[in-house]
Formats: sequence, structure tokens, C-alpha cells
Amino acid sequence: MSMRPANFDYQRPTSLSEAIQLLANNDEAKALAGGHSLIPAMNQRLSTPEQLVDIGRLDELKGISTNNGTLSIGALSTHAQIAASSDVRTHCAALATATGLVGDPQVRNWGTLGGNLAHADPASDPPTVVLAAGGTLHLQGPNGTRSVSADNFFIDLFTTDLQPGELITRIEIPSLQGKKNAYVKLAHPASRYAIVGVCVVLEMNGNECVSARVAVGGATPKATRSPSAEERLTGSSLQVAAVDAAAEALVNDIAGDVMGDLFAPEDYRRAMAGVYLKRAVQAAMA
Amino acid sequence: MIGQSMTRIDALGKVTGETPYPGDINLEGQLWLKMRFSDRAHARITAIDTSQAEALPGVVAVFTAKDVPVNEYGLVIKDQPVICGPGSDMPGSDIVRTYMDCVAVVVAETDAIAAKAVKLIDVTYEDLPAVFDMEAAMEDDAPQLHADSPNNIICHYRIRKGDMEAGWSQADVVVEGVYETGYQEHAYLQPEAGLGYIDEEGRVTVIVGGQWVHEDQEQIYHALGLPPEQVRVIYPAIGGAFGGREDMSVQIVLALAAWKLQRPVKTIWSREESILHHHKRHPMRIYSKWGATKDGKIVAAEAKVIGDAGAYNYTSNKVLGNTNLMVTGPYEIDNVHVDTYGVYTNNIPCGAFRGFGGPQGAFAAEAQMNKLAEALGMDPVEVRMKNVLREGSLLTVGTPLPKGVTIPQVVEACAEESYWRRGDGAWHLNRPPQPDNPALRRGIGFACGFKNVGFSFGFPEQNWATIELHGGAEIEEVIVRQAGADVGQGAHTVFVQMTAEAVGVPVEKVRLLTHDTAKTQTSGSSSASRMTFMSGNAIRGAAQQALQLWQDEERPAIATYQYKPPKTTPYHPETGESEPNFAYGYVAEAVEVEVDIETGHIHVIKVVCANDVGVAINPQQITGQIEGAIVQAQGYAIMEHLISNEGKIQNPFLSTYLIPTVLDVPTEVKSVVLELADPRGPWGARGMAEMPFIPLAPAITAAVHDATGVWFDEIPMTPDRVVTKLREHGIGIL
Repeated sequence: MSMRPANFDYQRPTSLSEAIQLLANNDEAKALAGGHSLIPAMNQRLSTPEQLVDIGRLDELKGISTNNGTLSIGALSTHAQIAASSDVRTHCAALATATGLVGDPQVRNWGTLGGNLAHADPASDPPTVVLAAGGTLHLQGPNGTRSVSADNFFIDLFTTDLQPGELITRIEIPSLQGKKNAYVKLAHPASRYAIVGVCVVLEMNGNECVSARVAVGGATPKATRSPSAEERLTGSSLQVAAVDAAAEALVNDIAGDVMGDLFAPEDYRRAMAGVYLKRAVQAAMA
Repeated sequence: MIGQSMTRIDALGKVTGETPYPGDINLEGQLWLKMRFSDRAHARITAIDTSQAEALPGVVAVFTAKDVPVNEYGLVIKDQPVICGPGSDMPGSDIVRTYMDCVAVVVAETDAIAAKAVKLIDVTYEDLPAVFDMEAAMEDDAPQLHADSPNNIICHYRIRKGDMEAGWSQADVVVEGVYETGYQEHAYLQPEAGLGYIDEEGRVTVIVGGQWVHEDQEQIYHALGLPPEQVRVIYPAIGGAFGGREDMSVQIVLALAAWKLQRPVKTIWSREESILHHHKRHPMRIYSKWGATKDGKIVAAEAKVIGDAGAYNYTSNKVLGNTNLMVTGPYEIDNVHVDTYGVYTNNIPCGAFRGFGGPQGAFAAEAQMNKLAEALGMDPVEVRMKNVLREGSLLTVGTPLPKGVTIPQVVEACAEESYWRRGDGAWHLNRPPQPDNPALRRGIGFACGFKNVGFSFGFPEQNWATIELHGGAEIEEVIVRQAGADVGQGAHTVFVQMTAEAVGVPVEKVRLLTHDTAKTQTSGSSSASRMTFMSGNAIRGAAQQALQLWQDEERPAIATYQYKPPKTTPYHPETGESEPNFAYGYVAEAVEVEVDIETGHIHVIKVVCANDVGVAINPQQITGQIEGAIVQAQGYAIMEHLISNEGKIQNPFLSTYLIPTVLDVPTEVKSVVLELADPRGPWGARGMAEMPFIPLAPAITAAVHDATGVWFDEIPMTPDRVVTKLREHGIGIL
């Protein structure tokens, strides 16, 4: 296994528009943010870009703020910054949890949310939360800006709606303050990637769950919502039977899409998706 | 000096990084060697084209089978070609029998060139039918791997004691099980590496990590067709071994290349190369049936053991010999019937690994014992105390154990120091409370074990030491020559402590010469928990003689002593009757686990290990061995799952073959060190390094059963296996 990347050209633009221009000019160019997905892929020669466009120092892509309760997270925010942000903890506690569980401290201090979502690794944690939380991704490319809901952004294994030359600029998440939300994961013992990760967002009225969003990652090629599980939880009082039914519904929803490997075969992952839904509900209500 | 936790003599150099390991050593003008391994599990090599590799700039030489003077090696049976392929006059050496067979060796100016060149070697294979299941390999129509082993059977041991029919007729309860144990990878810190060169006296010399310098020397000179004195082996610091360095890896090819080229030649295996190309712990399938009376006395035990040796013997016939003895546990049983087979397959070879057949035997024996306790409604400690071997007890092979049988004391100490209390003349388990979370279940398990110290069954056993006393009016310096390998266990520190004690000088006056065939005589391998026992007796003998010479005014006073323990004998081919061993170690363990019945994760909360070490020469090293063995055995029982598909290992990385890390180790390990002297041991010391490994897996399965009510007869108990099995029993997720 090679541990050095192929040769490449390196550019460090000083503005977002310059970065987009560079990327638009070269089909074989790739944006470099924290580099914690791209560089390992390059080292293994799974990725051999001609040019790296280092966007890591663009202030336009940084910062975490709230606007009328909506969280706005610059794409270059690192996992560690997000995990530590009081705004994120207040408005989307599950995202603070998830980013705090990514990799190890070195990865969390360099890896960025934008880079993570753009990479769309199925075993990654943040896509599951951004999807369950109903997040919106703001993109900018050679043809201007647009926004895409997380529901439409993740397409398949390592595949998103990002078009050539487009960058994620920021991620907006409606405030979940007042809603119960949690992310739980079963981590691979060596890589710490999610074998299964589940995020739930529950709107409660007294004891009744009036709306629910459920997403699962790790087990599936992309972060995936479970409409049947959401249906089982909605209108219930989250009693054991309802949560068990939701877990079963989640397992059925993803049944045909579950991936397996030597450590966690398909059957095991499928079963764990149900277990972790139950644990996510427990964690959200705790 | 005995009984002191003296700071290890190798500590400072290792923690500062100054101490070189084989991969750290370089010589001017050295070349780099890379091995090309087989691409087939079983095939005849009809042609091998090395021309493209030879044409690559920087390649100095390519060696194939035709270049090996005596193309065979093997620790017990020389059944493996050094290099497989055409052109060798050794019959059968044109056949690869496993993916870990070497088919060519490239020597080049750099490691990178050598790595590139091995890929340019074109090997033409003619596939042969292969067999991967150990029982299928014993069938009459199975492909035969070695001409002299019909039905691929390397060894078949029998034990016939008493009268089985009479035994079964006395039995009120009978318990049965089919036990399956998996591979285990040694995963020592330092992958194989070495440097071959011609020393100042013209000897082909190999610097390498191993467990027995003189055995490595023998393997090398045999294959190179050289006289012994023409070959020298030196060990620098050794980065762990656990049995995994008993057999050859890079030694012979380094010597071959250095000898042919008369230049230094170096190689370092990657972790992947290491996992793919050295032997493993034997997977075994054990059919076991035991009967007992209602008051808990075992009256009959029957077992059939099959061990997958892989493509070559390595030490399989010895390992299976141990399992044959240990599969009925440390119990006195009147009626015993055991058949044990070691079988060739086209899988990776298996050989020595801490416990040497003991862990597999104990896994079945202790599970049987715990099932008996359940069937009888009797406490597992109580039922053991009714059956354990005692002073004068006869083994299954019809002879008594050597004096100093302490398994009863060990079992009781473990029970008392863990979860049991004695009351009303019996042992009672006190369970801690269950956690509030219904997904988590806690349980307690118990197991015990015994194992030989030293070589068994008639294998020649001896250890040489030389003591030199230098000085005038008083002894100013003591030089001890003792070849024994310090594989990380601290043997060399113990040699110094024992020498200081035997001579009666402070440790500062002792200098150790070791790890070099040119400076020492053989001491046997660092294996079988034998090195302290054997070297201590040799050092003591040499010291006594040297002190006598010193009294007689000889300066320097030099004495060499060969310690030979009482002779052992091989199994009788029909009955198994024998005097198998000259010394034993005894151990018992109690384990508390927490099982997540939904995810299948088993957390080992606490292990209490009672181990009789005879005398703790260095107590800190004893507890280090206990804790290390427990973590390694925990990996064996729960985590370490080496997956082989038609002979090809699927997970040759530490990212996919998972071993315990600091996040996985038990929350608490309590070492209960008993010092009940072995009359034959130096200062009473017993061997101990393997003992704490042996009963852990069955203690864990017993604890998991206590927690869930389900018996796991297969290890490793990986999360997906646990979930699958619990679901079959309607536990956890449905």
C-alpha cells in the first residue's frame, strides 16, 4: 500500500470566488479543507487530483452563529469547534454529540463539517444528524448560489448533489430547542467510524410525540431517513411497544440497503439499527 | 535478590529508545531482501520466470528453490521447503501447500526496488485440489498434502484408562459439547525483521528476533548445508514472541542471501506480511462427553480432539500432545477415553502460542465442568474441589504428577479472593447486584487449569549455564553465560537476580552474556513456561561449582553446568501411558462480565487470577505476566477473529483483526500470587507465563452463561456471534 500521494499542483486562493474559479477551470481539481478524508484517499491513491485548491483559510466559510433561532454553521467549522459551541449545544445538541464522536482529537481539530458532508462517507456521523435535524446546505458555484435540503443532498455512497466547481459555504439547521434530540452510535472498535449511527428529533406535547424525524447512518450507503419509524413514533407516548415497533419499522425500511463487512455483517448491522433507534429515543428523552 | 522487584536491566534502553531491535540495525553496504509468497493454496509450480525482476535496475539477485542447498526446514519435522518451486532436488518442493509458502526471494539495492521486483516474477501454477476443513482432510478421498501422512494425519494420540462402560453406568448426569476454538495471531509489537552478514570470522551470521538462538542456528545450517560452526545467530532486543518466533520466518533466506552474495542483507516485514506469513494458534474442534455421580464425582470422560495444523507441522504434533492431556482438565478421573488428531490442511500453518494446546483443551474441559455443575445443581468451585488432582493423584496417562500438586490450594485461593465464601462445609457464590439497565446482564464464571513447565513427552530437555568469577581476594565481577531469550518477559533480569543470589554478590557485579550462539551454549527455547525453571537450575549448578573452584583458589573460577530435569516419556501408542512432564504450573480464575444482550458486547469487569508460581523471583514481573496473559486471553475469547476463506486470511491488519486496547481491558485484574514451592524448581520457582492465559476463555463463557443462561461453545465470542446465539434463545432483540 502506497502511503504517499501522487504529484499534484497546490493553490491557495484568498477569496471564495477565486476558489470557485480555480475549481471551475479544472475538472481534475479538488477542494482541500481539513483534509481528513481527502488526504488519506490520496495517500492510498484512491484519489489523484491534479490540483488541490486549499480553501482552509477562507474566512467567508468560517464561524457559527444563530439567526432567529436558526443555526448557521460555516462550512470550515471544525468538528471540535462545533462540539464545543454553546449555540450548537443549545439549538442542535445531537450535532454537538455527533461531532464530538468523530474520529479522534486530531481528526476533530482538523476535519470540517463542510468537508465531511461533501465527502458523504456512509460511516460518518454528521450527515445522519444534519438529515434528521432538517438541515439545509448552502452551496456556491460558478453559476451562483443555491440551497439544498439535506433530504435531497445525500444521493449515494460518497455521492452528493454537489455539482462540479460547487462548494458548501454553510449549513443551516432550524433550532431544535424545545425538541428532544439525540445521536447515538455503535463505533467500530478500531476506526471509530459508525457501524450504526441513529439520530432522532422528537417534538413532544406533554407525553405525546407530535412529530418525529429519524435518520440512520453507518449501516446504509448514505444517511437515510425512516418514514415508517417516524410514523410509529408520531402520535405515540413513546411507550416501549411504540418504540419497539419503530425499531422494527426502521429495520424494515433499510432492510435491502444494509451494508456489511467482516466485523459487522449485514444481519448484525440491521439488528443494531433497531437497537440504536431505541437507544437514541432513550437518550433524547433522558 | 530473590523476591525483589528489581528494575529490569533492559528498562532504560527500551524506554529511551536506545536499544536496537532487529529492524533498527544497519550495516554499511547492506542490500534489501523481499520475499514473494504463493498466490495459491495448493498448486504445483511448473515454471518460474525471474528475468523481468532480474532486469530491473538495482536488483542484485533473485533466488528460487534451485538455490537452496538443502531445501527443507521445520522445528520438529522438516516438511516445509525453504523456497517452493522447480529445480530443487528435494522431493515435493515444487508444490505450494499454503498462501504463506515462499516462492522466490529478491535482493536489491533498496527496499523499494526489491518490493517492485517481487511483483515482476512470473509464476506458473498448476492448481491441485485443496482441503480447508480439518475433518474433511481426514477423509479417504481428501487431497493428500504430504506423502508420509495418510489421511493428512500428522499425529493420533490415544488415552485409554479404566473401563468406559463401567464409568457411564455409574453416571447420574452426562454433559456433552462440541467446542470450536479459532485462530489467534500473536500480534507481537515488532514484526519480523533481520539482517544477515558475514562476521569477522567468516561465519554467516543472522541478527534476528527469536526464542532459541541455537535452534535458529540449526535450522539455518541444515538448509544451507553448512557445518554448525559456520553459522551464527544473534538476538538483539526482541519485540515479543509468545511462541510466534519459534519457527523460521526470515532467518534462512537472510542467511542464504548473505552467504551467496557475501554482503549484508536486511529485511523488515510489514504488519500485513507478518500476519499473513507466520503461524497461528490452532483452531480445534473438540467433541466432549463427561459423566458424574449425583454427588459430583466425575466417573467418565470421553473426548475427540481435532486440530488444524495447516500445511506444515511446525510444532503441531507437540501442541496436540498437550491438548490430549489437558482436554480432561486438572481432575482425577478413573475412566477416560481420548483421541487426538493433528491434521494437515491447505490453511496457514499453526504452531506454538502461549499455552501450547492448553487453552483449547481447557476451553472444552472447563466448559464441561461448568455444565456438570449446572446439571448437578452444584457450585462450580464445590464440584471442582471434589475432583481436582491432589498429591499422589494419577493422571489420565496412568502415572502420578510430580510432587507439589497445588491445584486444590489454587482453586480455593481464587474462590476466597473473588466471589465465593465457604460456609456449612461448602462453597457458595455471592453475586453482585444486577445493573438497572435491562439490556445489561452481569455474571460470574470460574475455571482452573494446569500446564507443563518444560518440554514434554521425551523431548530432550536441558539448559546450559556458565559462571565466571573474576577478582582476587574477593569476587569483583561475575560473568554469566546463559543463552535464554528475553522475549520481553524479563528473563535476563531474572538471570541476573538468580546469579547474584546463587553466587552471593549484589546484582551490580553480575554481567550477562547472552543471545549469541558464538558466546553461549544452548538453553532451549523461551517457551513452555520453562526459562526461569531451567536456567535457574543451570545457573545454580554452575554457581555452586564455580564457588567451589573459587574456594580452591582458582582465578578466575569458571564452571559450566548442564541442568537436565528428570526424563519424560512419550505416550504409549495404544493406551497413552507415559510420564509426560517433570513439572507443572497451576492456576484458577474467577471472572465478572457484563453482557449487553442487545449488541452482543461482553465487557470483562474483573478477573481474579490465582497462580502458584512457587517462588516469585521478581514479583512485579509476575503480575506483569498475569495481566498481560489475561488481556491476551480476553482477546482470544472475545475479540480476535482471524478470518480465513479457502486458506486465505481476509483481515491481515490490526484495523480489521482486532486485539484488546486500553479501552477493552478488564476494569480490574487482581493477581493472587501463591508461593508453594516446586521441589524441583530453583529456589522453589515454578514456570508461570502461560498459566494465566489458560482458564480465562472458559471462565468468560461461564460468566456469560451465568449472565444470560446461554452456553457459548465457540470462541471468539464476537458481538455478531453473541447476538445471533442469544436471539436463537429468545434473549435480547427478537
